[in-house]
Amino acid sequence: MRQINALAVAIFLVVVLVLFAFSPRNTEIVQARFLGAIAPLLKNGSSLQKQIIGFREGMKKLNDLDAENKQLKVQLHELQAKDQTLQDLQAENNQLRKALEFRQRSSFKLVPARIIARDASTWWSTIKVDKGSNDGVVPDQPVLTEDGLVGKTTVVAANASTVLLISDENCGVAANVEGTRERGMVHGTRTSTSTEPDLTLNFLSKLANLQPGQKVYSSGVGGVFPSGVQIGEVKKFEVQPLEGVATVIPSVDLATIEDVFIVTGGGK
Amino acid sequence: MIYIYLLVAEFLALAAQEYIPALPYGARVYLLPLVIFYAALAVPFPGMLFLAFTGGFMWDALVATQVVDGTLEISLGWSIVIFAALGAIMNGFRPLFQRGHGWEIHCLLSGPLLSIFVLSEYLMITFRRGGFYFPKLIWWRIGGEGLAAMIVSPIVFLFLHWLALSFGLIPPREERVMATEGL
Repeated sequence: MRQINALAVAIFLVVVLVLFAFSPRNTEIVQARFLGAIAPLLKNGSSLQKQIIGFREGMKKLNDLDAENKQLKVQLHELQAKDQTLQDLQAENNQLRKALEFRQRSSFKLVPARIIARDASTWWSTIKVDKGSNDGVVPDQPVLTEDGLVGKTTVVAANASTVLLISDENCGVAANVEGTRERGMVHGTRTSTSTEPDLTLNFLSKLANLQPGQKVYSSGVGGVFPSGVQIGEVKKFEVQPLEGVATVIPSVDLATIEDVFIVTGGGK
Repeated sequence: MIYIYLLVAEFLALAAQEYIPALPYGARVYLLPLVIFYAALAVPFPGMLFLAFTGGFMWDALVATQVVDGTLEISLGWSIVIFAALGAIMNGFRPLFQRGHGWEIHCLLSGPLLSIFVLSEYLMITFRRGGFYFPKLIWWRIGGEGLAAMIVSPIVFLFLHWLALSFGLIPPREERVMATEGL
């Protein structure tokens, strides 16, 4: 019996050592394959969870749905009109940038995605979404909602992706503050979660004197996140020995969002 | 057959725990470690190593290993080692399981073992990211998860055990006791 145990331990150690030797690229491939395998289960679980919640909340009356439908159609037309105007403005902006020999702003392609699982771990803030490489998603693409920045993609499977939330300590976003020339770096803290997000804006000037409510936007430095996307609002500002540090409340409620957009194509 | 059963249970537990909302202070309720701890009682040492390997691999592939900006924060395989070490402790109590005890061992040990697992994860990221700090919140989270594991473990144990007995994957209590006493 002891010989069998010793042999089992030896085989176990050899296999684990092989795994330890995996490069980041190979690890990503393994993770993507596993995420792809478990994604159908997560999608079904997510649908089931929604059905249960929907059942608990009760069915909406047909009249309510009809009214909501009409309202949504009106909103859709409004947004289509706005989108057209913005496209015109973007084209004009690009012409002017070209005239000034600036780099052209590329237009974003937004891939809508649904969250299929969230917050599976204690120390990392991540969510899983139902879009992957089949939809043009690759690692390190920004993820946002109409309210602001959510995070960036990390592991991408064919039919699902993992998104690292801005509340994670590893997700740093270069940012600037509304109405000032202050630039810094927003990131989560080690104890931060999506339910209790805790963002800090570091590397500010000690004289910044930011006021609560001032909006914080991505600056576009670093190449992952586009500029001008709202990250959150300043909650408080503190002067520390070497720098000014602001606490930021994220503009997106990371604990309750259900749908997001992944910026593909020219988002970088 | 018991190994396939426990392997499927690990996979389903991993998927199911994604839907359990976080507790106060960001503590989580984990099911996969509880399945691994059950496996450590139900199967011999080499089998426990195999199931710690599969469980740890799934955990690393979906939860723990993060590749950020092209660098690995925790290598694939660390959770396997920790699960195997904790599983070995649980496996040490297998003679009691063979004598007919079960859920109470699982319940009493799952809490502390899960807390050790979560603490080891925190130590690893602390080592990797630098900045050695342990605010109260961290301890609440680690302790809360252990407590949650102790509350949930009898349900997980009894469900897995009932299914295993129903399908004849493990011998009934009387047979196990007789086998242990050499009758």
